[in-house]
Amino acid sequence: MSDEMLELTIDKFTFRVPKDLYFGEAGVWIRLEGGLARLGLADYVQQRSGDMAFAEVKPVGTSLQPGDEFASIETIKVNVILPSPVTGEIVDTNLALEEAPELINQDPYGKGWLAVVKLMNWEAERTKLLDADAYYALIKEQAEGEVRKK
Amino acid sequence: MSKVVIVPCSGIGKSYGSVAREGAYVVTEDLRPDTTQLVPLSLLVLGDEQAREDVSGAQAITIDGCKLACASKMVAESGSTVAHNLAVLDVYRRHRDLKPAGIAELNEGGQKLAQALAEEVVTLVDALISASPLSTLRLRSGQDLGEGTGGRGRAEQDGGQNA
Repeated sequence: MSDEMLELTIDKFTFRVPKDLYFGEAGVWIRLEGGLARLGLADYVQQRSGDMAFAEVKPVGTSLQPGDEFASIETIKVNVILPSPVTGEIVDTNLALEEAPELINQDPYGKGWLAVVKLMNWEAERTKLLDADAYYALIKEQAEGEVRKK
Repeated sequence: MSKVVIVPCSGIGKSYGSVAREGAYVVTEDLRPDTTQLVPLSLLVLGDEQAREDVSGAQAITIDGCKLACASKMVAESGSTVAHNLAVLDVYRRHRDLKPAGIAELNEGGQKLAQALAEEVVTLVDALISASPLSTLRLRSGQDLGEGTGGRGRAEQDGGQNA
């Protein structure tokens, strides 16, 4: 476990959770950048979802409320609609994903980011989000539950 | 030149592996039976002497079903040249309307995707053949053509294995 990252190892998988991010329960991470928030897909979700075939992000200018679809992914296993964890407006999207959606698998907290959102109601909404420790606990419970089912 | 060796994924449990194998069958049995040869990955993994001999010194096209890329890795470890590698996922990205489903029996999308994959493989096979310095001579002599697959069934060609 590094200073910047929590790591959860379950079975043969290791899931990483950066300490400086917030998370929605669906596994969308939020990195604050001034009054903006960069959004992406958590390592746990991308590993569980499998190899990315397509990633589509709503266009710049899209207004979002918490729970609104802001992106969707299609993998070799599943199709997943990703809900926005915040209120805001999309001001940038990761165009690289059009040609290389595998960036989400390769670098989920870096080059695989999905969108940048101008935050509209952050102070009220931040309390409803999970910090790294809480998200770690959530995925630990989920992953261990999956193992017990086997 | 010797036949181009086609080595597909032999994983089980995922549609993309099935597409890889089905595409390889289409190439080696239907589209280019005279210039290609299917070598089962499972036999390479087992160290089967005939399979290793078949890939040794041959130009191989590998078809991987997932990012583990077992076919490519195993062919390389067997001492063959991976002339080209195709990933089923990349082919699917070029044919998004052909979503594969099913494993033992692919859905229509999967079957069409296998056909599209096979056509991409054939393009590569033809390029390898035409680039071979011996291709003109041997095509004239016909010595390397017309051998076909001898009517062997797909399960038999796959060594009866699928894992």
